[in-house]
Formats: sequence, structure tokens, C-alpha cells
Amino acid sequence: MRDVYHDELDDVGRKVVQGAHLVSIAMDTATKALLAGGADLADRVVAEDRFVDQLSSDIEDHCFALIAQQQPVATDLRVLIGSIRLAGDLERMGDLAGHVAKVARRRLPERAVPADVRDVIAAMGATARLLVTKAAEVVDGRDIELAREIEHEDDHMDELRRTLFSKVLSPQWPHGVEAAIDLTLLGRYYERYADHAVAVARQVMFIVTGEPPAMRRTPSSAGPGGAVHAQIRSSQSP
Amino acid sequence: MAKRIDIRNLGASYGKFLAVSGVDLSIEPRSVTALIGPSGCGKSTVLRTLNRMHEVVAGAAVHGDVLLEGESIYAAGVDPVTVRRSIGMVFQRPNPFPTMSIYDNVVAGLRLGGGRLRRSVLDDVVESSLRATNLWKEVESRLDRPGAALSGGQQQRLCIARAIAVQPDVLLMDEPCSALDPISTLAIEDLIHALKDTYTIVIVTHNMQQAARVSTRTAFFDLAGIGEAGHLVEVDDTETIFSNPSDPRTEGYISGRFG
Repeated sequence: MRDVYHDELDDVGRKVVQGAHLVSIAMDTATKALLAGGADLADRVVAEDRFVDQLSSDIEDHCFALIAQQQPVATDLRVLIGSIRLAGDLERMGDLAGHVAKVARRRLPERAVPADVRDVIAAMGATARLLVTKAAEVVDGRDIELAREIEHEDDHMDELRRTLFSKVLSPQWPHGVEAAIDLTLLGRYYERYADHAVAVARQVMFIVTGEPPAMRRTPSSAGPGGAVHAQIRSSQSP
Repeated sequence: MAKRIDIRNLGASYGKFLAVSGVDLSIEPRSVTALIGPSGCGKSTVLRTLNRMHEVVAGAAVHGDVLLEGESIYAAGVDPVTVRRSIGMVFQRPNPFPTMSIYDNVVAGLRLGGGRLRRSVLDDVVESSLRATNLWKEVESRLDRPGAALSGGQQQRLCIARAIAVQPDVLLMDEPCSALDPISTLAIEDLIHALKDTYTIVIVTHNMQQAARVSTRTAFFDLAGIGEAGHLVEVDDTETIFSNPSDPRTEGYISGRFG
């Protein structure tokens, strides 16, 4: 009986890793759709988000059943509670990839990303990919050191978002309001996606060490849009 | 009334066999401490050293010391019977005195203490002890019936009433629920929870969920191998033991990954 239970616990862990891979592919594809303008790519991301949702809901159900039937304690209990939270993060990451794809879809046949900010968006896409790849490794190997590294990568994402906003908010911005709104949203989506990747790493730290995950300390934690408002204030000052 | 217990480098043996050794453990007053661990780890033996019940077995010996509120219960001149009066015990199988009525079971300890007590005093003790164990309403109309005629769960609550009737400082419980059904078990657990405010309680249990539910502190005992002496591995707040224990042996035991 116990062996079956331990196999099922491992199974939950594998599903979480699988989920991390799915949301990694989703965001990568969404970034490609955004930069290359492929309708089919964008559609695929939106359509395939249901797999992430399904997996996330499977993980939650599985954890719920194991908690109900096996009275897990210590590490086992932390794995299950941590996995329920991880399922929530993965589900949100899948949604955010879908949002990016929808921005790409909406502007077709135009490109949502003007040529002069392509580099920033490409860098955000690459950072997102790096973060989620590491997060998946953290989950797979319960690697605490790597989990700490992820926080630094996230700082890089915040920096890219600031760069993006300074371009959009520049008095010389030539691409109009619609593009500005799209890019503001995109910046937000990538940044939130990265935050969830950090949350994934922190849940793994909780599973391994038992320390409760710390609160975020990025500018965005000051409140929704905190960084944007700071940016607007600084761009308005003489 | 509740007193603290300090166990100092305690060992206990049966003849040449050292059952448990090197136990250092402090038990705060008005707390519930659960002793858990695999069979043969010495947890019941440790419990029995706390009121000098270990030595009633032929060839049994105790090393080290047990202090009750700073006073050694093993000091020369200490009468074991006096120790057992202030440190009561409840056993695995309910053991009411079979020929005695419910009433007489509850006051048995007081009568053994000698001296004639007025009927009204005894009546008060019977009522308050049975109320404290949530048994009063169930038996008040049949106090003269034999204690052995009660259900298993009621018998165990009667035994707890008998133990607290003499107003002990400490209550020891050796797997008090292992012979009971889940409903009686919950009744005993609720009772332990209520008694914690008045007594120092030490409970040995094989049921880890029970330890997690009822105790404030949990001590995990283990043994290196068959024939080896058991020892205390780790003691901590129950919440910590069941959420994030320090020792991998504790983790292995409580999550069912033995050996």
C-alpha cells in the first residue's frame, strides 16, 4: 500500500515537471507568433492552453485524494500542499502565454511589436524561457541553489520591462496609442509569467526546507502597476 | 497541581537486556507529550519508569533519574506507592475492578489511601471525576452497577476517572485508545484535550494521527536493531515533528518509509 502511495507522490512530481514544460513551450510559441506574426502559431497556443488547465486540475485532484486517503506528513505533506500551489502557478503561466498569443493574433496582419522594440520583446521571451526551464529543473531535481538563481533572472525581466516602458512613454514614441497599449500589456504578461516562475522555485524551496515561501520584493509588489506609475511619474518630471 | 517532569540520562533494563538508554527529556506542566516509535523502541518502558511501574517486573532495573518538580522519584526513602498516587496511569485495555460498582471503582484509590472519608465527600469526588471524563450523564442513574458492564469506551473513561479521583499531578497513558472504536477514541481524545489544562499528560501511542491530534510535544524513539537498546531520537513541538522534523529517521517513521 505504501509503495503505491509513494509511486503516486512521484507521479504528482512528474506531472508538475510536465506542466512546466508545457507552459515553457506555450510562451516560446507565443513569443514566436508575436515576432514572426504567424496566425497558426498564435492559435495553437490559445487552443493548447486547455492541456495546461487539464493537467493543473489533475494535479490538484490527485493531491486532494492523497491528502484525504493517506494522511501525509512532513515532506510528503509539503510536496502535496506545494504541488497544489504549483498547479495554480502553472495554470496562470499557461493563461499568460495565451494572452501574449492573443495580442499577436489581434494585430494581424500587422505586427504587434514595432521593429524598434523587437529586441526588448525578444529578450523578454528569451528570459521567460530561461526562467521556466530553470524552474522545471528546480522542480525535477528539487535543486535549492538553482531556485535561488531564478530570483536574479527575474530581476533581469523587471529591468527589461522598465526598458520597454521607457520606450513606450518616450515623447518621441511614433507608433500610436494602440501599439503602446499592446506593449504595456505584453510587458505586464511577461513580467507576471516570470513572477510565477519565481513562485514555482519558491514552492520547491518550501517543499525541500519547510520554510514558508517569502513574499515578493520587486517594485511590482508595491501594488498593481506600481512600476508603471513610477515610470510615468519619472517621464513627466522635467 | 500539574507538575513538570525531567528525565535525566534514563535507562531501563529487564535482567541483562537493556531496553532503553540515554533518555533526556523535559515535560512541561499542563502539556500533552506523545511518545511515538516502532515496537520495541522503549517508549512504554520509559512511560513506566515515570511512576516506578517498571520495577514491578522481576529483574527490572532503572538507571539515571526522573525528577518530579525537581524532586527525584528514585531517591532513597521515596515510597513508590506515593509516587504512583501523584502520577496516575491509564492502560491499553480498560481495566475497571471487575467486582466493583462504577461508584466504587472511582473512589477505589481514595479508599486505598486509608482513612475514612465521609460519604458526601466521596459523592462529590465521584461526580466531579465522572463529569471531568464526560461519563457522568451516561452513568449517573446506575452508579451501583458493575464497572465491567459498561462499553469499552466507557470503561476506559471510568479508568481515567479513577486515575484523576486521587488528584494526581501527572497522568500517564499507555495506548489508551488502541482497544477502542473510533467514536470512543474521539471521546478519549477530547478528554485528553480538556484534561491538559489541569494535568501533565504523557501518552504512548502507535497511532501517529492521534499523536498529531492530541499532543503539544512529540518525542520519537527508535532502536538501532533487534536486541539493541531503544533511544530518544528527537523531541519537538508536535507541529514541527509532523511538518518538518529535524531527523531523517523521524521523517522516515512518520511518513511510513521504514528501514
